Amino acid sequence: MTPLSRRAVLQGMGAAIALPFLDAMVPVRAATRASSGQITRLVCIEMVHGSAGSAPVGLTKNLWAPAATGRDFDLTPTSLRSLQPFRDHLTIVSNTDVDPANPFTATEIGGDHFRSSAVFLTQAHPKQTQGADLMAGVSLDQLYAGRVGRNTVIPSMQVCIEPVDQGGGCGYGYSCAYTDAISWAAPNRPLPMIRDPRIVFDELFGRIEPGVPEAVRREQLRQQRSILDWVMTSAARLRARLGPTDRARLGDYLEQVREVERRIQVIETRNLSGEERALPESPAGVPDSFGDHVAIMFDLQVLAFAADVTRVVAFKMGRDASNRGYPESGVSGGFHNLSHHGGRDATVLEFARLNAYHVSLIPHLLSRLQSTPDGEGTLLDHTLVLYGSPMGDSNVHNHKRVPFFIVGRAGGALRGGVHLKARNGTPLADVMLGVLHALGLDDLARFGDSEGVFDLKGIVAG
Amino acid sequence: MTKHVTTIVAVLMLAGAQAAPAQKNDAPSLSGTWNMGLQGGHVIPVALVLKQEDATLTGTIAMPTQTIGQTVEVRLTGETTKGSITLSGIVENAKESTTITIKGALNEEGIIEGTVAVGSHELPYTAERLKERK
Repeated sequence: MTPLSRRAVLQGMGAAIALPFLDAMVPVRAATRASSGQITRLVCIEMVHGSAGSAPVGLTKNLWAPAATGRDFDLTPTSLRSLQPFRDHLTIVSNTDVDPANPFTATEIGGDHFRSSAVFLTQAHPKQTQGADLMAGVSLDQLYAGRVGRNTVIPSMQVCIEPVDQGGGCGYGYSCAYTDAISWAAPNRPLPMIRDPRIVFDELFGRIEPGVPEAVRREQLRQQRSILDWVMTSAARLRARLGPTDRARLGDYLEQVREVERRIQVIETRNLSGEERALPESPAGVPDSFGDHVAIMFDLQVLAFAADVTRVVAFKMGRDASNRGYPESGVSGGFHNLSHHGGRDATVLEFARLNAYHVSLIPHLLSRLQSTPDGEGTLLDHTLVLYGSPMGDSNVHNHKRVPFFIVGRAGGALRGGVHLKARNGTPLADVMLGVLHALGLDDLARFGDSEGVFDLKGIVAG
Repeated sequence: MTKHVTTIVAVLMLAGAQAAPAQKNDAPSLSGTWNMGLQGGHVIPVALVLKQEDATLTGTIAMPTQTIGQTVEVRLTGETTKGSITLSGIVENAKESTTITIKGALNEEGIIEGTVAVGSHELPYTAERLKERK
């Protein structure tokens, strides 16, 4: 029988849904491997406002990075403790700085909140402007997407949680593009972030073939029907030619697509019901709960990876100077206020609890990746998730000892299960260059303000 | 607290002067840009630009206003004597003329430490020299 194309989709009523890896595609997959190896997926997550563990008192209490380096580290006192089940996949890199986020001139002093996000994945110092003459650098995710994204329907995805405002100036003479975008396709081209899960879902799974009237599409949405209803015939036809394993895999995948779609519909129904909302200005597809919003964004990312619709995601989980509260965390007080803890022990500890809450949402992504088959292993085996902030001690707006960790072994390029502490003054850009090399871009000699390549495998006994 | 501090610093404005701890006469010039952290309940980064000619200091401070991300530049004059600095300035465009007074001294680590007084409110600060880059 002719192998199923990796590009095969379920079609019907003008819609198209990409398929997950199936054994029926094996000959194609084998050929792909022979030519390019197993592709590592990349998720870059930025959280703003640094960490309590970057402050002097937080350092002594190991509120971010563990005390021990190497493999025998204890996550218990740290904000990373929820990652314990994944410690074998975890690479913590501590004690690095993001100097390009610092002010370079007098007029840039005080503008850290409006400049830093543009630095996180570019490690380049943004030009202070509110006009069209933006200038930062090409971001890490886009460098990677340039290599692996060309063969996917969507070369890379940019998603976020908080509202964005790409137009005009945000403060201290900085364009909002610097504040709201972490992905830069070119030094002068920030990529817009998508906040609404409905829009992400539609981009991934609700693509309408040319010729389908918009009115038809709207009517389908109005009836709250599933995108799967549109491709039932195509799915049935495909099932008939699949073996039992593939049938089960396809069934699981479509059920997951449906489950995410159903959740979005529930959110939309609730938000359009007239009930009071915590986020009244937000689109109907955006959950009021931060945790729910993050979770559904992660589920969409996993589905996108499973279907190979995209291989690269940039995810902005916060917005600088946001004073959002997180009732689910058990911490009272707004994010920005807590980040300016004044060095007071009790407030620093509260801020650390908030940092821990944010990190505690990551295992949801990791579990989903781990439970999704991908080739000979799981998606987690073939994914690299990096998480960090361009700010260190937010209380004083510095960019030293920034929080950063990686989960995933990038197909064996990383060892995992290790805490690496950089020498004082090491640029985070060195680490990011190490990440790029681990992703196969080892022809890159420099990235941002890098001074060398950080060895992410480290020289660690045991 | 953040709003309170910002309001104080914004609606009012600069002026002031006085001296502080001792500094040798051959102390390095204070000319340049300083990244000043006003320490209320919340650290507010502020640009302090100084020019020193003998014992005379002139400069500017960019004080935050009540609108997030906006600053107003206040001109300063003052002097440095035996390591201490005194600067003052008057906030223009405020409803009432407001004086801000900056006192401080350069410590052995090259950091200026002192206080900024805005009307009857006083905030401590530290200021590090900015390594200006293009």
